[in-house]
Amino acid sequence: MCRAPARREASGHDSSDSPDRGAAMIDVARLTKQYGAKTAVDGVSFTVAPGRVTGFLGPNGAGKSTTMRMVLGLDRPTAGSVTVNGRAYRDSPAPLREVGALLEARALHPGRSARDHLRWLAASNRIPVARVDEVLGLVGLEAVAGTRVGKFSLGMGQRLGIAVALLGDPPVVVLDEPVNGLDPEGIRWVRTLARRLAAEGRTVFVSSHLMSEMALTADHLVVIGRGRILADCSMPDFIAEHAASFVRVRTQGGQVADVLRGAGADVTPVDGELHVQGLDAAAVGELVGDKGLYLHELTLVRSSLEDAFMTLTASSVEYTARDGAELAGATR
Amino acid sequence: MTVTAASSTVALDPRRNVPGTRPGFSSTLHSEWIKFWSVRSTTWSAVMLFVLGAGLTALICATNAEWLASSEADESPGSFITFGMTFAQITAVVLGTLTVTAEYGTGMIRATLAATPRRGSVLLAKALVLSGTLFVLGTVTAFAGYFAGNWFLDREGVGLALTDDGVLRSMVGSGLYMAGLGLFAAAVGILVRHTAAALSAVLALVFVVGNMAFLLPGAWGEWTAKLMPGNAGSPIAAPVSFNPELMAPWPGFAVFAAEVLALLAVAWVVFARRDA
Ligand SMILES: Nc1ncnc2c1ncn2[C@@H]1O[C@H](COP(=O)(O)OP(=O)(O)OP(=O)(O)O)[C@@H](O)[C@H]1O
Ligand SMILES: [Mg+2]
Repeated sequence: MCRAPARREASGHDSSDSPDRGAAMIDVARLTKQYGAKTAVDGVSFTVAPGRVTGFLGPNGAGKSTTMRMVLGLDRPTAGSVTVNGRAYRDSPAPLREVGALLEARALHPGRSARDHLRWLAASNRIPVARVDEVLGLVGLEAVAGTRVGKFSLGMGQRLGIAVALLGDPPVVVLDEPVNGLDPEGIRWVRTLARRLAAEGRTVFVSSHLMSEMALTADHLVVIGRGRILADCSMPDFIAEHAASFVRVRTQGGQVADVLRGAGADVTPVDGELHVQGLDAAAVGELVGDKGLYLHELTLVRSSLEDAFMTLTASSVEYTARDGAELAGATR
Repeated sequence: MTVTAASSTVALDPRRNVPGTRPGFSSTLHSEWIKFWSVRSTTWSAVMLFVLGAGLTALICATNAEWLASSEADESPGSFITFGMTFAQITAVVLGTLTVTAEYGTGMIRATLAATPRRGSVLLAKALVLSGTLFVLGTVTAFAGYFAGNWFLDREGVGLALTDDGVLRSMVGSGLYMAGLGLFAAAVGILVRHTAAALSAVLALVFVVGNMAFLLPGAWGEWTAKLMPGNAGSPIAAPVSFNPELMAPWPGFAVFAAEVLALLAVAWVVFARRDA
């Protein structure tokens, strides 16, 4: 089901539909965050389940980072609640051992070495120092462990951020735009890592504004736009529902459209071409040929997932625009 | 290695790594200690503090010893023996500000609070590491300045013994005042969050506004001036104050300590509630 879930009513946290508490997961319930007059996150509910990668997708300013900050107890929700493994993040005795996070900003002091950065984090949660070198090796930074972070490239900084996330060997991993600034090699590395972490049974929550990246990484998709959930469904369902295909036809005159409509197709004129749904390219060609009509172009067009995502998020913009128009009409 | 969704059936105990009890305050303290000493600015500030504090005291004693021994002298050697500490105090303010604002400037505060969500513990650990370091450093520097400066004063016969009135008190007092200034700056840092803004606010308040306050008229003005943090806190750091209008060392320091604690309390309330 790819529709945004109906907003849970404000009758307390409904736990009956929340999966097993014994599993590592993030449970977000009617979460709202306002910064002054700006509503960054607006009544958002979803769960992030273990054993799969959940992609958190939305355009710039959609509220992804804000939601993730509230998961980590950094920002206080205006309303609603969020639990990790069944309790508020702040209540975990050693949060780094339970939830590992890569935050949006690099969150590093340029004057501190990578190893020292990991050392103070490890000390705060009583993580053995040996683990510091282990994660440095895991992200391929052992050679520059003693180098000041200020000299790191964007990609190296991002790798260190991922090392931080993995430091406590956490069952829940939250990554805010992990591929930001990475080269193709690095992007592939993050993708493989995210999938491996999920395969190990961990709960993996990854944000991105690139649908194409998510299509390769995520098993499940939560789409957010303007602070609201637009879709919450499995990747295959999302593709089936949104990645539509159609046949593009160029022709002269209106006869072709009439013929195709007569055969039951859904025909939409767009910029001098016709977009035909409900018939495949061969059927269109044969129908038109039977009537002795000519075509200037006949192409099967598959809209990409990126397009699907754009359409989905654009509609949330349209929705608010229409709201505005209705409002104007009402006041007249 | 290719991993597919099909293999994602492993059940992981979400709390398999989590200890039953909280790691405790000592972990937070250890963490803040590593953080404090793993940036160069700390080492540099500490070196600067020592060089300014001990060096300038030695210098001023060397250049003024002869005058202090003469009949023209209208100041006490006791005002000179911790003279350099006034400048060293600036580095204490810098250090106090940076321990907080560097975290806000880099966004690292989020990593800190994600690792230790108990914000009170974070603040307390930071305060202890900062004030402990500044106390030891300030006291050691004051002693070094005393021994260096007194060598010049002794040669002119106006030296001070450690047992003289207020000398030992001013050594330990230098450490205490340093620690207090650092905490004051850190509290302002938490409230303001920007290095330049916090630094100029504290330096202006302690070293400029405090002196200008003595220009205020009447008894009201006089007490306002006496109670300014820099004016109330500084007498403890010298055997004899240059300014005779200041409060006595211990009452003054009590006022200063109360001001620092009040500001820290405000910072704590804000820090505990604000979005990181
Ligand atoms: N601390 C803040 N104060 C005021 N407004 C904020 C704050 N943080 C976020 N916002 C606003 O809330 C909205 C959501 O921001 P957020 O950073 O969560 O989006 P995002 O989905 O992470 O976007 P991006 O893809 O650009 O990272 C934006 O309009 C942003 O301007
Ligand atoms: Mg973001």
